[in-house]
Amino acid sequence: MDISQVLFYALSAMALGSAIMVVISRNPVHSVLWLIITFFAISGHYILMNAQFLGIVNLIVYAGAIMVLFLFVIMLMNLNAETEPQKNKWLKLAGVVAGGCLLLVLVAALKQAEVKGKVAMLETGDIGLIRNLGKALFTDFVVPFEISSILFLSAMVGAVVIGKK
Amino acid sequence: MTNLQLLALLPFMVLATAAVVVILLIAFKQSHTVIQVTGFFMMCAVVLAMWFVRDTLPREVPPLLVVDGLAALFTGLIIFSVLVVGLLSYIYFEEREENPKEYYILLFLATLGAAVLTISRHFISFFIGLELLSVSLYALIAYLRNRNNAIEAGVKYLMLAALTSAFLLFGMALIYMETGSMEFTAIGNAITKSGTSVLFLMGIGLIVVAIGFKLALVPFHLWAADVYQGAPAPVTAFIATVSKIGVFAVFVRFAQAIHLHENALAVTVLTVIAIACMIAGNVLALMQQNIKRLLAYSSIAHFGYLLVAFLSGDAGVGAGVFYLLAYSITLLSAFGIITLLSTRRKDADELSGYRGLFWRNPLMAAIFTVALLSLAGIPLTAGFPAKFFILTVGVQQHMWLLAVVLVLTSVIGLYYYLRIISTLFASPPLSPAKEKSLHPLFYAATYTSLVVLMFLLAWLGIFPGFIIDNVQEFLVIR
Repeated sequence: MDISQVLFYALSAMALGSAIMVVISRNPVHSVLWLIITFFAISGHYILMNAQFLGIVNLIVYAGAIMVLFLFVIMLMNLNAETEPQKNKWLKLAGVVAGGCLLLVLVAALKQAEVKGKVAMLETGDIGLIRNLGKALFTDFVVPFEISSILFLSAMVGAVVIGKK
Repeated sequence: MTNLQLLALLPFMVLATAAVVVILLIAFKQSHTVIQVTGFFMMCAVVLAMWFVRDTLPREVPPLLVVDGLAALFTGLIIFSVLVVGLLSYIYFEEREENPKEYYILLFLATLGAAVLTISRHFISFFIGLELLSVSLYALIAYLRNRNNAIEAGVKYLMLAALTSAFLLFGMALIYMETGSMEFTAIGNAITKSGTSVLFLMGIGLIVVAIGFKLALVPFHLWAADVYQGAPAPVTAFIATVSKIGVFAVFVRFAQAIHLHENALAVTVLTVIAIACMIAGNVLALMQQNIKRLLAYSSIAHFGYLLVAFLSGDAGVGAGVFYLLAYSITLLSAFGIITLLSTRRKDADELSGYRGLFWRNPLMAAIFTVALLSLAGIPLTAGFPAKFFILTVGVQQHMWLLAVVLVLTSVIGLYYYLRIISTLFASPPLSPAKEKSLHPLFYAATYTSLVVLMFLLAWLGIFPGFIIDNVQEFLVIR
């Protein structure tokens, strides 16, 4: 087991554990803090896959900017356990059953699956470096790149429309 | 990217420009009327651009897009629907509490999303198009945000759409893991070479969840009635036509590329979904007193019928396109009537409000009656040949169960459509006449377009051959 495998398993355990903590934490602020750890672990995965740029951007945008927004909103709303709406018992049961079914199907499918040593890799595997990523974005993928900028325009207009006085 | 590829994308660029033009007009403080008229002409420009590039088709824009006959057909349908929705929006939003200007930006951006779906042949463009469509729809649905229903509908759509996006991405990831490609044809080739595996089927299943949500197919239809009811009437018309046409287009292209019809398990699942749609949609619509909810359930049933065409494979695509055309015209004229009858306070969605409409406004009642007859599939309206073609391809492919369910549920459907029609002709309650403050030109334009839609329905019902020939001609461009 070489160093990258050790890192992979450590990061995966970290990501899974903190993701579970996000869901089961009682305090919403704790959930957000666990989510930040999840993002760090995922950034680590990106770097392991030789996609440094994505890793850094993931840290800056998600763990940095978006999480600060989350914290602000949660603190402004002043949530705590008493004001939290109590959910219906049957609703919880239905959720558990549905989620359990999905888990069962997924586990059964993944058990059957054999990943025949196939590694989906674009040519040399260094697409994640900034230079190559920029080249790909502005040559092959220029149309979807432009469309995604329009997507942001749409999100911005929508937020302004809903949020204005 | 070559000049010809750029040229093939011209209609989509004009469509994107339309949104930017509207933003600039708002920045220069132009009136609602100016924006509306400009938007109308921009949509006409898109149609012209499509006419202009028709000879250069089919054109591939690797690796993500392909502009072929199928794309041109579905984009044409989408632009046609948006033209009508835009026209309806003027009257609706001019007398509402909200400033209507930003509405048009979102409308055109959502249209662009649906149009991108029709030309995508790669998971990335599929996802970006779908997100562009959904993100614009979140805001459109909740546009009249002072109404309780609107916010509820918007949040409901937002939650469920975000959840299904996660399903979609997970499905795509599984398929990518199995086949090593995100392009539809490459996935198809990899699958024919190595055979379907469990992982691949799992991926397809998750993608079907997402598509089923967008098309409001039965196990994933729970949002439909609430969102249809809560959204402003023109937006509801938009969801029922444009958004579903776009998603259906990409589903057809995906299924053709990966030969979904040869996969017994997928066919079984889709057959069950189709039967569930036809039965649940029609049965749930029976007891509805709210027209918008009723149309929501009826559209669930109609997409069940459409799945029969979809399951017939390549032979069914022509019938499917014709069905979508007839369905769009019908729904647009029905929602046009709802828009015209809506008052400043609330949308005209109670069935009791339609009582005796014929005696108050015979023209509106006539248009609404033709639309409902077409939804029910009565001969001499577009709904009849549309349903007939689907039944024909279904029988040709020996899908007897689906054909029988289609016929039986159509009979159930007839009951609630006729119930509305009988309400229209009942004796009217005394009600004050609605005051009209807008410029009569816009009423004239709306009435004219609705009458044109009505005649289109009749024409399609009597002479469907012309359209069918043209559709087939387009479908061979690939």
